[in-house]
Amino acid sequence: MPDVFVEARDLTKTFNGFCAVDGVSFVIHRGEIFGLLGPNGAGKTTTIRMMATTLPITSGDVRIGGYSVSREPERVRRLIGVCPQELALYPELSALDNLVFFGRMSGLGAAEARSRAMKMLDLVGLSERARHRVAKFSGGMKRRVNLAIALMCTPELLFLDEPTVGVDPQSRNHIFETIQGLRDEGMTCLYTTHYMEEADRLCDRVAIMDGGRIVALDTPEALKSRLGDPTTVTLEDVFLHLTGRRLRDEG
Amino acid sequence: MSRSSRILALAGKELKVFFADFQQLFFSLALPVVMVLIMTAAFGGETRFHATAYVVNLDRGPLGSELVSRLDEQPGIDVELLDEATADERLGRSQLLSVIVIGPDFTEQLEAGRSPNLTIRRRGTGGDEGQITASYAIAVAHQLVSERLTVARARAVLSGMGADIPEGAVRQKVSALYAEERASPTVVAREEAVAARSSPAAVFLPGMVTMFTLFTISLTSITIVEERKKGTLERLVTTRATRGDLLVGFWLGGVGRGTLQVVLLLGLGWLMFRTLFTPGSFALALVFAVLAVIAVSAAGLAVASVARTPDQANWIGILLAMVMSTLGGSFWSLEASSGIVAALGRLTYNFYANDALRRIIVRGEGLGSPVVLQDLGALAVFAVITWAVALALFRVRRDDK
Repeated sequence: MPDVFVEARDLTKTFNGFCAVDGVSFVIHRGEIFGLLGPNGAGKTTTIRMMATTLPITSGDVRIGGYSVSREPERVRRLIGVCPQELALYPELSALDNLVFFGRMSGLGAAEARSRAMKMLDLVGLSERARHRVAKFSGGMKRRVNLAIALMCTPELLFLDEPTVGVDPQSRNHIFETIQGLRDEGMTCLYTTHYMEEADRLCDRVAIMDGGRIVALDTPEALKSRLGDPTTVTLEDVFLHLTGRRLRDEG
Repeated sequence: MSRSSRILALAGKELKVFFADFQQLFFSLALPVVMVLIMTAAFGGETRFHATAYVVNLDRGPLGSELVSRLDEQPGIDVELLDEATADERLGRSQLLSVIVIGPDFTEQLEAGRSPNLTIRRRGTGGDEGQITASYAIAVAHQLVSERLTVARARAVLSGMGADIPEGAVRQKVSALYAEERASPTVVAREEAVAARSSPAAVFLPGMVTMFTLFTISLTSITIVEERKKGTLERLVTTRATRGDLLVGFWLGGVGRGTLQVVLLLGLGWLMFRTLFTPGSFALALVFAVLAVIAVSAAGLAVASVARTPDQANWIGILLAMVMSTLGGSFWSLEASSGIVAALGRLTYNFYANDALRRIIVRGEGLGSPVVLQDLGALAVFAVITWAVALALFRVRRDDK
């Protein structure tokens, strides 16, 4: 029986009467890469923000490593690392300064933060550019810095909210390899993306969300089997089958 | 890592970003430098007296030129020689307020032991400079008369003693003794500034300092709103930093930036207008300016909580800065305000900062003055109030409910 590390139960978020996340429940096992897929406005980012303690939960709860997100957010913050969709970093500072700063805010001492920052920059292939200003970096390099920052606190659960948006294939591949390496070391990941082939390649299980609800949850292979031969059916086929072909423009 | 280390790490990051952002750096640090340089150009960077004496020398002998040359040697006085027609024309057009006219028989009268002909032509009172340069000219003329009298008396004494010394030699010796006296005067007036000297710069500098401290509201609030916009603030929430850590860290960052500004402004003010401060009054002015920065930086946190975009934060900050500068007396003397404006002015923090800084810089008052102490207390109260407002309003998330 796999070890349950994350348990979301009836997770709900409403904004001024609009229900963005509607009673979502799922579990994530320790060391698993769990994919959260869905069209724009499906509620993926809202779910991650509630789980990452940055958005108050309207009802329901999430337990991470045994701690309640709504009642013990400080405990939960010690276990998580967040790689947000936005490039949440300081372009005026060097890559090293960015990592050291977030490391110190996560509880590391100055020397420890510096040493870990160099390790993380090495991990994402940026150690040679450590002292360069992030403003001068390409989109792919900035994404890798964004990921490295999330790893500064040695998290047990890593939230990855569309970490490969707008990056070149080389950087994307590097990010994949980094995430797979972290999973092999026992890190649990919650991964959201619009790229179905990414989810197919990386995720052990995926949940497909639409309209704030989970409409399917299983391994990529099992989801594809529901539509036909998994060697010919793609995860995108499954996604479109479950969520429809109607355009989803966020408003 | 302790809470204080996290707070200092955040404040340190704020300063690092500040120094790395050319636009912010220019606005915050280069602008005060430019303002002080403009002030220096306007007021000459000089608080000592300096004036030009306009002289028409009609004298047919050598002593008129001697008077001009000695007047030019006086500290702070420059001489501009004019012909009589030009002088009258410029006086007529109010280009000059006072002209010293050395009469045609100036040397002759002096040599004859009569009062020499020196006329001061002036418009109205002749202005401060005209009156002072005229006094100098009269004093120099007296000096010349005195020298002539000394020569005459010396000759009389020497003749009475039966000494046969040529008049030229007596005159030469007396002139040499007077020249020696002028070079090393027996009475030396030493200047010692016990407090600031009044000058236009002293009047404007306090207002400029408080106006720049008010810009801290914009800078602090824009920084936070931008952090919220790009997601770094939300990311910070997922670290071990508490809301209180973030509040204090951002506030300290704002205090650091504002302190740099006021140190620069006051320091440059002291450098360019040497007699504006004594070390004691400079330190006290700095204390007041930093206290003002402490209060407005907290106001910046409150504005950041209300504003949703950096533009909104900027405009709210500018609006507050302009209204408070106007009401609080940054642009004109506080005594000039009356009625409702004066009453409203007392509700602004910079009223007290301006009052204290003007008392320290212009009047040379210190902590011994009850009014300065009262201003200090009022600033402390404002700092506490702005902190309380910031504490109540500060939001780290865009959609905090």
